[in-house]
Amino acid sequence: MSETTRAHFQEELEGLERSALGGLDLVAQALDRALETVCNQDIELASMVIADDDRIDGRYLEVHQGILSLLALQAPVAGDLRLVAALLHVIKHVERMGDQCVNMAKLVPLDGHQPPAEQSLLDLIFRMGEQARQQVVQCGQAFERRDVAMAQDLVRQDDLIDELNRAVFHRALELGDDADRREWAMHMMLVGRCIERIGDNAVDIGEQTAFVVTGLFREFEDASHPVAPPPTA
Amino acid sequence: MATQSLRTAVVIEKRAKEDAQQTQRGARQAIFKLDGVGVAYSGKPAVRDVTFDIGKNEITALIGPSGCGKSTLIRCLNRMNDLIPGAEVSGGVHYHGQDLYGPDVDAVEVRKRIGMVFQKPNPFPKSIYDNIAFGPRVLGMKGDMDEIVESALQHAALWDEVKDRLKTNAFGMSGGQQQRLCIARALAVSPDVILMDEPCSALDPISTGKIEDLMLDLKRDYSIVIVTHNMQQAARVSDRTAFFTVELDESEKNRTGRVVEFDDTEKIFTNPSDPRTEAYVTGKVG
Repeated sequence: MSETTRAHFQEELEGLERSALGGLDLVAQALDRALETVCNQDIELASMVIADDDRIDGRYLEVHQGILSLLALQAPVAGDLRLVAALLHVIKHVERMGDQCVNMAKLVPLDGHQPPAEQSLLDLIFRMGEQARQQVVQCGQAFERRDVAMAQDLVRQDDLIDELNRAVFHRALELGDDADRREWAMHMMLVGRCIERIGDNAVDIGEQTAFVVTGLFREFEDASHPVAPPPTA
Repeated sequence: MATQSLRTAVVIEKRAKEDAQQTQRGARQAIFKLDGVGVAYSGKPAVRDVTFDIGKNEITALIGPSGCGKSTLIRCLNRMNDLIPGAEVSGGVHYHGQDLYGPDVDAVEVRKRIGMVFQKPNPFPKSIYDNIAFGPRVLGMKGDMDEIVESALQHAALWDEVKDRLKTNAFGMSGGQQQRLCIARALAVSPDVILMDEPCSALDPISTGKIEDLMLDLKRDYSIVIVTHNMQQAARVSDRTAFFTVELDESEKNRTGRVVEFDDTEKIFTNPSDPRTEAYVTGKVG
């Protein structure tokens, strides 16, 4: 029992993982642009973010089809099966994160070229976006390295996003009675919500990392339960 | 958050399933208890240190590479190795708590209680009816022979296909039908265990599917042990799986089979405990 077999299958599986995790790079780019769009009120860039989501959707379809083929033709089991199942989740989260970037970009034209923006609120949004970007990168690295501790650390990072999101909410409430400014602030709250969801999706990918490694699926964090310790192999 | 509620439901459902499985596991009855079983041919060990329980009304699959001793082991379970000159069985093979190799145990009675189906269908050159009636007649079983034959064929899901040609030669049946006939023949003597040594390896996928469906039906009344090289088959039909491997002994001259892992089939095929099992079931080594 020493000869390694199924090399082609292994290559195919590794290729699928690369494609799925590569989707996170596309999300990071989309998030950078969406943030720039929001902070600079760049309507042209917003339309590019929306159009470029086709690349992420295309990646989703490609990986999804690849997984279906692999399941049908190669019947993976054990660790391979867990990886395939996890990749199906990962690519779905990638697609959802891409959609959140689109949602952010779609809000920008609603306020016109020169909205009554307020810098301190924009700063909070920018910090949230930076934090979410860090999480997007980290969830991909954790998955690639099968590093459960790194995946679990996403919960701590996500708490920072949640904290900033609350700050966005409070700052938006403080922005006075001007109707246009309040409308803009409401839009920024929605932007904050999009970024917060991207963070959640990154944590979800972290949970899939733990599943691949340990074979047990447990939520790292649940609104209705205390934080669970990470599963161990 | 709706997504979180859904995820929580999934976790709770999984935990409930685990609990149910544990409860079920606690209620399992062992029909065989194997305790350090080994088999040697002319002094050379073929398989050793096999220890696990085989559950009643379960399908237990034995998987592993060629030469790992799984067929040797399954033959211990109805004393088929007695027929091989130089074969020695060591350790404890307890069937319903009784030592199968005890001095007062009749091997013929053992084989009546524990039937066997082989890789290649091996009907007798007789009619379908006489194939089934052969065992009951030899054993002097009482009762209406027509009923015994019909019941066995019904249990083997073959009755509807052959009821109008019971007196025709069994060799006129398809391979899949012949294998189900062999299963019916084993059932005719009222066993409570059926051993199957690669029962589908000579069959096409349709016939294989019929045998697999049959196995799942039969486990309500019988306990089944199956040796198979088809891991998807083990995954599809069995409740528990034993993975065997081949090891060189201390002298590095003899290859001996050993059990690496024995567990619920779902565990073996989703999250095996031993990396050697993982490597084998995923096909990374052969």
